[in-house]
Amino acid sequence: MTTTSDRPVSRRGLLTGSALATGGALTGAATLRLTADGPGAVQVPVAQVGGAVEPFHGARQAGVATEPQAHATFVAFTLKPGTDRAALGRLLRLLSDDAARLTRGRPALADTEPELGLLPARLTVTFGFGPGLYAAAGLGDRRPPSVAELPAFRIDRLQPRWSGGDLLLQICADDPLTVAHAQRVVIKDSRPFAAVRWVQQGFRRAAGAEPGRTQRNLFGQLDGTANPTPGAPTDAAVWVPDGPAWLRDSTTLVVRRISMNLETWDLLGRTDRELAVGRRLDTGAPLTGTAEHDEPDFAATGPDGLTVIPDFSHLTRAHVTDDRQKILRRPYNYDGTPTADGHADSGLIFTSYQADVTRQFLPIQRRLAERDLLNEWTTPIGSAVFAIPPGCPEGGWIGQQLLG
Amino acid sequence: MSTRPRRPHAAARIAALLVAVAVLVAPASPAAAHNTLRASEPAAAARLTAPPTRISLTFLQKLDPAFTTIVLSDAEQRKVPTGAPVVADATGTVTIDRPLANGAYTVAYRVVSADGHPVQGSYAFTVDDPSASPAPAVSTPDAAGPATSSGRSAGAGPWPLAAGVLLVIVVAGGVVLLRRRRGTA
Repeated sequence: MTTTSDRPVSRRGLLTGSALATGGALTGAATLRLTADGPGAVQVPVAQVGGAVEPFHGARQAGVATEPQAHATFVAFTLKPGTDRAALGRLLRLLSDDAARLTRGRPALADTEPELGLLPARLTVTFGFGPGLYAAAGLGDRRPPSVAELPAFRIDRLQPRWSGGDLLLQICADDPLTVAHAQRVVIKDSRPFAAVRWVQQGFRRAAGAEPGRTQRNLFGQLDGTANPTPGAPTDAAVWVPDGPAWLRDSTTLVVRRISMNLETWDLLGRTDRELAVGRRLDTGAPLTGTAEHDEPDFAATGPDGLTVIPDFSHLTRAHVTDDRQKILRRPYNYDGTPTADGHADSGLIFTSYQADVTRQFLPIQRRLAERDLLNEWTTPIGSAVFAIPPGCPEGGWIGQQLLG
Repeated sequence: MSTRPRRPHAAARIAALLVAVAVLVAPASPAAAHNTLRASEPAAAARLTAPPTRISLTFLQKLDPAFTTIVLSDAEQRKVPTGAPVVADATGTVTIDRPLANGAYTVAYRVVSADGHPVQGSYAFTVDDPSASPAPAVSTPDAAGPATSSGRSAGAGPWPLAAGVLLVIVVAGGVVLLRRRRGTA
């Protein structure tokens, strides 16, 4: 059979071709080979992934500074009329108990599928309070001022189905089944108190696939390079350092659903993409540098006098030098069902944590809305802001400092 | 029998190569929609006997002031101070702050097409004002014609590549023909 004998040749040709086309394909192929053949193939210890635990209890909630897990679901609720301060206390005690059990690999109370609760896979359940929760509890004066609907931006095409919310549960784990089960549990327990307003599900690389690496979005860009450095700078940027018990060790969360137009992005050449982003797509290095974390030189010019990094690039517009003004991004990709003619429904669940939305997030967002070329291919279609209250000790519940 | 079934494969490969060439050579359709510089003042490669007071660039498409950059630099690649671009429809204009001395200058621009593609390019002109004080000795590159780029490198475009690929096809076709003849002989 000539066809079969011919096959390896053409396949090899295909591989070389794609390797030439993109450096990324080459490394991808190499990695595949490593795991596919070779007697000592590298294997991720799956059992460790499933059994890994992120502690639920602590001064600060988990799921913020936590190394991002591979899967996430964001569930926003609208409180039902009559869910007052006392009812909120009952709801949050219940949900905190669910989270405390599931995050350590124990089934929830009266779990109807207890076997699904046994693999925590670094599960975190992070609670967020929208402006409506403070109002429902009659505690409007305790709402952090920046926890409010964002001002409208020129680029926004917000849809109610992805916006707002009184209560948010951000559920993250390295295993999608764990996430699904936790979501099911918390929604069931919330039913008497709240209606599901929206759910957004997202993903990153699988656990262990690229440990410690900045995640890539579906445009192929590294996303999150400029996050504040772990340690003290992150603390100052993200966590409220003092104040009353319901504010200290809290943070705020902005969730924006950013639709990414892959159809028009596909029409851009690589150089044009890099000019729009201000970074190289492969390494994530600024156009004036060679490595991802090189400091960009916005003043550097080419021989013709133009700046190497365009002033309209995403990097230029988003850049923040002062660590305390930075935001901690923890984005997840979403990839919905393509249309019948193959147009993608893809984008980013943009999440940013900061001590103060007004001081940190808004200036960046204003600069981006005004003049970021990337806006040509991205559209914000959802927006919500939540306070992330402090954590709770063993036996406590999230929100107790505010509502208890 | 190994020779017989090979021929159709050779033909198939040639066909695949043809398709590949077609893909490479055919201009990507969106390129036609890109913005380009239509006219400029001073004109590209102009030799002016009086220093210009402004630079005015007219493009194919309406300009967005937020995405319009015009930079003037001298023969030493030093930036010459100008005002911010003033955009009117498809024309962007900058005024030159101080009178230009005699010498060669480069105008560079970076704008954005209606579909968001960045477009950038540059051209040179020379100021040679006989009434001006003796010009500083300039050893400048020739006042070149306009160079534009939209991501890709400026200049020759896909044609040299196409010619090269065409050559490959012709040679490969010849080899196949020769082989075929030998086979039947």
